[in-house]
Amino acid sequence: MDQEQRFLGVLGSSPFRIAVVYSVVFALGAVALLGAVYFAVSQVVDGSTDNLIEAEVQGLREQVLVLSRSDFIELIEQRSQDQDVRGAVYLMVDPQLRPVAGNVPAWPKSAANEGKWIQFKVSVPFGDETREHEMRAENFPVYAGYRMLVGHDVQERQDVKNLMMRGLIAAVVLTMLLGLGGGFWMGRRILAQAGAISAVATQIMRGDLSQRLPVRDAEDELNSLAREINGMLDKIEQLTLGMRTVLDSAAHDLRTPLNRLQATAEAAMSQLAPSSNERRVLERVTTEVDRMRSTLDALLRIALAETGTVAREAVDLSELVASMVELYAPVSEERGIRLESSVIAGAQVQGSRQLLAQALANLLDNAIKFTPEGGHIRVVLRRQGAGPEVVVEDDGPGIPADKREIVLGRRVRLDEARKFPGSGLGLSLVAAVTKLHGARLVLDDAGPGLRVALKF
Amino acid sequence: MSDMHILIVEDDQVARDYLAKALTEVGHTVEVAVDGLEGLQLASSAAVELAIVDRMLPKLDGLALVQSLRATGRKTPVLILSALGEVDDRITGLRAGGDDYLTKPYHMSELLARIDALARRGDNGSAEANTKLKLADLELDRMTRRVSRNGKKIELTAREFQLLEFMMRHSGQVVTRTMLLEGVWDYHFDPQTNVIDVHISRLRQAIDKDFDKPLLHTVRGAGYSLREDE
Repeated sequence: MDQEQRFLGVLGSSPFRIAVVYSVVFALGAVALLGAVYFAVSQVVDGSTDNLIEAEVQGLREQVLVLSRSDFIELIEQRSQDQDVRGAVYLMVDPQLRPVAGNVPAWPKSAANEGKWIQFKVSVPFGDETREHEMRAENFPVYAGYRMLVGHDVQERQDVKNLMMRGLIAAVVLTMLLGLGGGFWMGRRILAQAGAISAVATQIMRGDLSQRLPVRDAEDELNSLAREINGMLDKIEQLTLGMRTVLDSAAHDLRTPLNRLQATAEAAMSQLAPSSNERRVLERVTTEVDRMRSTLDALLRIALAETGTVAREAVDLSELVASMVELYAPVSEERGIRLESSVIAGAQVQGSRQLLAQALANLLDNAIKFTPEGGHIRVVLRRQGAGPEVVVEDDGPGIPADKREIVLGRRVRLDEARKFPGSGLGLSLVAAVTKLHGARLVLDDAGPGLRVALKF
Repeated sequence: MSDMHILIVEDDQVARDYLAKALTEVGHTVEVAVDGLEGLQLASSAAVELAIVDRMLPKLDGLALVQSLRATGRKTPVLILSALGEVDDRITGLRAGGDDYLTKPYHMSELLARIDALARRGDNGSAEANTKLKLADLELDRMTRRVSRNGKKIELTAREFQLLEFMMRHSGQVVTRTMLLEGVWDYHFDPQTNVIDVHISRLRQAIDKDFDKPLLHTVRGAGYSLREDE
């Protein structure tokens, strides 16, 4: 199957198609050229034989006028035996078409009609065997009722013509075969190269920016294209690395003072009595530090996902979705919400398990936050088209159709959501993670409620 | 387990001082280094039982420090502190030879719980292989996946079993919510809802409800602890 597909792939490749067109053109060229030669050569060869026969016939006709019949028969017998004139044939027949003289055993049937030129086959000794030779002859009347056939062995001429015809056919077939074979070979080569390039490109798309396209030691278009793409990849890798460095130093410059703030507050708290006013103030400080930290974490994760600088691995989506449902089941039950799920087995994607888990957690956190007691949340993992699809559906208030686009932007909290805690980054992180995985995020009306689908 | 010789390699003075003070207060002997090279020298000493290493350090990067230390064959437990962007930094940190990884800013209670867990990992090495875990009258058999208390069989879900197993392996220690999420679910994020608390209260229902002496305790502001009360 694979072999067959590769074969069909080569047949569809552009080098092969070009080769087919060229070999057809060259084959037509060969037909035209060799055909012209064949035509010219047969004209010359046929013409010279016919002239020879004409001359002989002319000579014999003159002899008929001056010689008696028996002398003429003798002359024919003589000429028939004359070894110097190779290939010459003579036959004289009586009115009943019985041979009287000559070296042809019988009057050919094709000579029955009165046509002047005839072609016929005669068995000639050829070493120990006999061979059928093609003869061309002119027949004409001599004396009363007697007829004469004068001709020449044209087998050689026929052989040359046959040889030329075979040569012509061979040339056409060879041109076609060479063209198709060469095209197939070139097609395979180009396909192999293109295949290597697309394999690497896939890895690069998956986030492994250190990969480079294979470049051979040759100066063709594919190679220079590969070189240019590699140059572009160098640039992208540099940019991503730079982006990562910027993110890391931003993270560092924010986390370090936050850490100091936390340390200072905790150090001070440990000196204070558990219920003192000062301690309560400091507890508020650490609570704010926590909040800032989770906002910072979310922002950094969004930035990392958006710049695509996250290492990717094979993620068992089925396991992930099932375990997230299992993680959130008790908390939703505690809040009087029914969490239902339907998860297919064996769904896999390439990506970051942690980021996918975070995205799912955000969706579940949101669903639990907005679904009233007695409500439902439905989590579905199914195969939809080519890839898996994760759907989280609740019967909370939902998001109005005109606001679905904007909630995916950064830090958007709809007025209705202000009474709930949260950074407002939840869905933007989901959007960034979805994009990182080459998936599509679709917000929909669950009637009532919100339906979020991640289509991989 | 207190009374350890701990090395702190941290270039931020405020963080370093507070860390040193807090660790000393709970009974550890503390040594400090302000850059990577000094840190590596001190960490190579056999006296150091555990090292807390900041990831971004002057002179020698924290990861390089851990790698060098591991290259010399030292198995000293190392907790890496990081102020970086996260997500896969954690994986690179652990791959470099770190035993645990904590992102700044952190709560001291979280760090102390993790240090405790790291220190005991050495002692409890045998517990990893042990098929039977026991605390007071609570028994857990990893082979038969049977849990019983006072000889009475307790029915647990697969996840509750894992949760209890994790708590029993860390019995007597404080286990934080993030440690549970990491250790039992292998997730590294902070859920906005109290998902872990609800799992713990279900486990508590199962193992403590019908018995006089509770084993699963809540440690305020830190997490949970499975222990036998005096």
